[in-house]
Amino acid sequence: MTGLDAFRTSVRDWCDQHVPTDWRAAQTGVIDEEFVSFQKAWFAELHRAGYAVPHWPAGWGGGMSVPQQIVLYQELAAHDAPRLVLAFVGIHHAASTLLAAGTEAQQRRHLPAILDGEIWVQGFSEPDAGSDLAALRTAAKRDGDTFVVNGQKLWASGAMHADWCLLLARTDPDAPKRHGISYFLMDMTTPGIDVRPIRNAAGESHFCEIFLNDVEIPAANLIGPVNQGWQVAQATLGAERGMTMLELAERLSNAGFRWLVQACAPADDALVADRLAQFEIELAGLRGLCRDLVERSETGQTGPADASIVKLYYSELLQRMTGFGAEIGGLRAHTVLTKPASSGWESGNWMLDFIGSWEWTIPGGASEIQRTIIGERGLGLPR
Amino acid sequence: MNFAELHDELRSVARDLLVKDADWPLLVQAGWVGLHAPEQFGGSGATFAEVAVICEEMGRAAASSAYLGGAVLGIGALLALHPNEVRDQLLCDATAGNTRVALALSGDSAQLPFELTTTRLGWRIHGRAAFVPDAAVAQRLLLPATAPDGAPVLVDVTADAVGLTVDNQPVLDETRQLATVTADGVEVDGAAVWRFDGDPHAQLRGLADRAALAVACDSLGVAQAMLDATVSYVGVRRQFGRPIGAFQAVKHACADMLVRISVARQLVRAAVTAPGPTTTAMAKSYACDTAVAVAGKAMQLHGGIGYTWESGVHVYLKRSALNRSLFGSPASHRARLAERYQ
Repeated sequence: MTGLDAFRTSVRDWCDQHVPTDWRAAQTGVIDEEFVSFQKAWFAELHRAGYAVPHWPAGWGGGMSVPQQIVLYQELAAHDAPRLVLAFVGIHHAASTLLAAGTEAQQRRHLPAILDGEIWVQGFSEPDAGSDLAALRTAAKRDGDTFVVNGQKLWASGAMHADWCLLLARTDPDAPKRHGISYFLMDMTTPGIDVRPIRNAAGESHFCEIFLNDVEIPAANLIGPVNQGWQVAQATLGAERGMTMLELAERLSNAGFRWLVQACAPADDALVADRLAQFEIELAGLRGLCRDLVERSETGQTGPADASIVKLYYSELLQRMTGFGAEIGGLRAHTVLTKPASSGWESGNWMLDFIGSWEWTIPGGASEIQRTIIGERGLGLPR
Repeated sequence: MNFAELHDELRSVARDLLVKDADWPLLVQAGWVGLHAPEQFGGSGATFAEVAVICEEMGRAAASSAYLGGAVLGIGALLALHPNEVRDQLLCDATAGNTRVALALSGDSAQLPFELTTTRLGWRIHGRAAFVPDAAVAQRLLLPATAPDGAPVLVDVTADAVGLTVDNQPVLDETRQLATVTADGVEVDGAAVWRFDGDPHAQLRGLADRAALAVACDSLGVAQAMLDATVSYVGVRRQFGRPIGAFQAVKHACADMLVRISVARQLVRAAVTAPGPTTTAMAKSYACDTAVAVAGKAMQLHGGIGYTWESGVHVYLKRSALNRSLFGSPASHRARLAERYQ
């Protein structure tokens, strides 16, 4: 047995013993507090096994090789483990930003705290800065050792549960728009912060508005140089995309496809069977793309549009697949009024997953933006 | 040299050579005909992964070549047989370019096309295989047949045998040479009935999968060539005072082509790395659908010039559509996959 096979066996054994078998039922229709405590407990469980932050450097509690991480996410998906929803921004975006641009003091303050369950939210988008993120207007004015922040953030996922916020704010209103932005770590308990959940199309309220009214952030919580926030964000935003997409692709290919086959059973209608086979093929292609991306990321051989290709393909495949599930589920699919918290978009509750799929085609660079990136950076087409 | 470097080198040599039409002596000289044959038979001892590189380049160049029928399938079939002296000699002759062989596998049917019977006069073979690649240029034909004991065998027949006819089958895609092979009671010597090495059904299935996968590789090359041509054209063609590639409608269409090709490439790579019925069905279905979609979009984005005979886009569109139907339609390959859902 090779080392990787042995590792797979150990992950399987762990999953058999630790993945709660009834979590989907238990997480359906729960109140927010139960969702939060379940998420924190699951994160702690993964952390005890060394599976919570496998992509972090060894010195901070990670250090798993890329092939091992692939195996880990394959097995977690195959065992239908709950998804880490609440910890996501902390272990990915916050950590990669801290590791790439944070001071040693900032790293020491936050990385261990994230492992202890500190929750993060991303404060990037604004009402007038969506796809054109660099147009953001939230202002941070220096006043001695602090910055005073005023403005409004939007689509901040999970802000009501967050302890800390990754905040982009304008520090030089006169500079070209990408050169006047700074990146801050903002304590969510600071006076002047008002978080208001927004109910989304699927009826959930994890997106929030964050109103900032004379919020004082210590200058020590600036990350990276003043006015270089856009560059820091660009360097760190896509850093984790490969492995996080691989995890989602594995989940969709396991539970998602399994439920689709079940929904179609018996697949004796040739047209239905053909659609199923087409989805299986596309899922295999998606998994291949994700594996290829993470393997090439490791050796620094990724192309400038590779992450966009994966994001675009996943989100549109998700939309087509959940749309087909809703179609094949017929009117019965409309009678399922809630889906389990702690799942992704592979819950098998087709209508809600279908509606939720726009959460992939719109945020994080809408599909139209991804196509432009692919055309210009991937193919070198004129601007 | 590792495999990635080997493939890059093979690819670059192929690209240079295929600029002009690749006639058979050139393929022999380049070492491609016997690429996957062991060295003891005059081959290069490479694997199907290297053959796949050549297939993709053939598609990229839309090469009018007998590589598919003569090398991938002809030599591939000989390699799947239980060794015997005649076969070994034929392998050597084929890799040296002295004798050309073709496997009479139907391009449009998964059924075994021929039947071997015993009469009081000896062995006779009957049957018909349609849309056989590169059969008309072969001196020796390998006819897949059911033996009286029910096992699939390959029957070695010379092209001029009495009762055998090989009729050229003209198709719109002028880069492919297809033929109908008909055997009407061809007299067969017992020594010309060749058994497969190992499980004959699995071997025959493997040859059909190999044919499908080779076509999938070809389609990947076709699609990549059409994307490259389109990107280069829309970067220079100007309308409304700017290159048309600057318009989002055009740019986004090109992005979609790249995404589909990237997915097709993953599926083809997976099938080449781990050949089998499932991986092959996925690659053949997706890559062949993709090539038609990409070549069609290429014609659209080339505008009026793309619709002319001279532009050559039609050559790729026809080849992609022929590839899609050759050795199993996308729907038939998906139907194979769907059997697993029952």
